[in-house]
Amino acid sequence: MAKIIVVTSGKGGVGKTTSAAAIATGLALRGNKTIVIDFDVGLRNLDLIMGCERRVVYDLVNVIQGEATLNQATIRDKRTENLYILPASQTRDKDALTPEGVERILSELKEEFDFIICDSPAGIERGAQLAMYYADEAIVVTNPEVSSVRDSDRILGLLSSKTRRAEQGNDPVREHLLITRYNPERVDHGDMLNLDDITEILSIKLIGLIPESEAVLRASNQGVPVTHDNSSDAGQAYADTVSRLLGEEVTLRFHQAQKKGFLSRIFGGRR
Amino acid sequence: MSLNMDRENTAFTFKGGMLPMTVMELSSADPEEIRAQLVSKISQSPAFFQHTPVVLSVEKLDEPHLALERLCAVCRAHKLLPVAVRGGADGVKQSAWALGLGWFPPTEERARTVESVPAVVPAEPAVDIAVPGGGRVYRGTVRSGQQVSAPDGDLVVVGAVNAGAEILAAGSIHVYGPLRGRALAGIHGDTDVGVFCNELNAELLSISGNYKRLEDIDPALLGRAIQVYLNNDHLYIEAL
Ligand SMILES: Nc1ncnc2c1ncn2[C@@H]1O[C@H](COP(=O)(O)OP(=O)(O)OP(=O)(O)O)[C@@H](O)[C@H]1O
Ligand SMILES: [Mg+2]
Repeated sequence: MAKIIVVTSGKGGVGKTTSAAAIATGLALRGNKTIVIDFDVGLRNLDLIMGCERRVVYDLVNVIQGEATLNQATIRDKRTENLYILPASQTRDKDALTPEGVERILSELKEEFDFIICDSPAGIERGAQLAMYYADEAIVVTNPEVSSVRDSDRILGLLSSKTRRAEQGNDPVREHLLITRYNPERVDHGDMLNLDDITEILSIKLIGLIPESEAVLRASNQGVPVTHDNSSDAGQAYADTVSRLLGEEVTLRFHQAQKKGFLSRIFGGRR
Repeated sequence: MSLNMDRENTAFTFKGGMLPMTVMELSSADPEEIRAQLVSKISQSPAFFQHTPVVLSVEKLDEPHLALERLCAVCRAHKLLPVAVRGGADGVKQSAWALGLGWFPPTEERARTVESVPAVVPAEPAVDIAVPGGGRVYRGTVRSGQQVSAPDGDLVVVGAVNAGAEILAAGSIHVYGPLRGRALAGIHGDTDVGVFCNELNAELLSISGNYKRLEDIDPALLGRAIQVYLNNDHLYIEAL
């Protein structure tokens, strides 16, 4: 039976889709049969980041409305075995997602997969609430800035009251904090919140810290999840995150400013 | 009779007040639909419907003509007391005034998206204990958008109250942790109550309607353990 993990944040543009793609890829690379679902109806871009936008025929809404089967709509990743994508619709109305439809799809997928990763839209409205409703675990993506932390706090409140687990009084959704776009130099300058401040306010367990990295931009432009770039800082940080998600103890990296060495001072750059 | 009004003889004074208020965000203008939903809500939480004052928010509605009078009648029939209307076109404002209701301008764009989901989400704590005397002990973090209240007594929070959260009590409020949100004590008018916390960063502190915003608080007190009390209608904050 699959574990359903929602990647959510409240605030937009913090790195949910990047993280959902990278984590799903990492889980699949480690041998877990994984599907990543785009819940961002109307603004789909998971397929772009996964590099499969040209292979989309049917989408989540088609399946919910009975116009296509799950098999027809799921796309098998070309690079990674065990990895599948269920894209969102670009054209449909957000209201096309219904709780019953989502539940039916998830329970069908649960039989077949080890992990179901749900990429939530921004905000705290219907779309975001549907993406989290059936979750077993949640990865709350937060940037080191006050507004992002505030919105994550709000999302954590919803996770504890507006999910099926909460409503039925089952074990609560397991919450993980994923800090992304962390720039230790700017944190040291006081331009950004530091790691300890964020974890203190949100008081949930840290599952990973992804540095601000050019590798992410490069990866998304190429349509290859950054996890494949295992020489990059962000690629390694996502791989660490996946290991922790699988229950391993991994020391935190990339949270301290690099002392610039002689060569990098001359040639610039950090990677 | 003298026209000279000395202080002894004033019939009233105006005061700034901050009262907790329920906003009823309408997503339908149909009084019958609203009636049906009210009926089912009442069976869930009858205690809520005791002449509770509400602000009818019509911001979300795109209807130039509202049956405002019928809407109010439906509310009153279910023991909700409309006191004002928020949002709507000029016609709505005029008919609100004609019905003896106040009118508030619509909230700004950002606040709107946040409020369209239940304005406040009751917090689901790890441990929540009702104590004798109507008080309440809440263990856990009170998060942005959540509200915890002790309508009949003191409220004790063992944990953080984050920015954007709101805690309310008829009696005193004790926070064993950082207080970053809004804390309103003495919500039924009790002036002898206090607010106590380990680490002050509150957005708002209020006792019996007398309040201070973060901006009004002496920065030297921020981050410290403090108590708040009322004396002669003046709110004092003091380090503990
Ligand atoms: N670690 C990182 N370093 C640098 N840029 C990043 C990083 N993570 C994300 N970004 C960039 O931030 C932007 C937003 O990322 P992404 O689309 O993943 O966010 P999102 O939370 O899914 O946004 P939305 O709320 O719109 O769905 C993208 O341009 C992405 O390349
Ligand atoms: Mg996204």
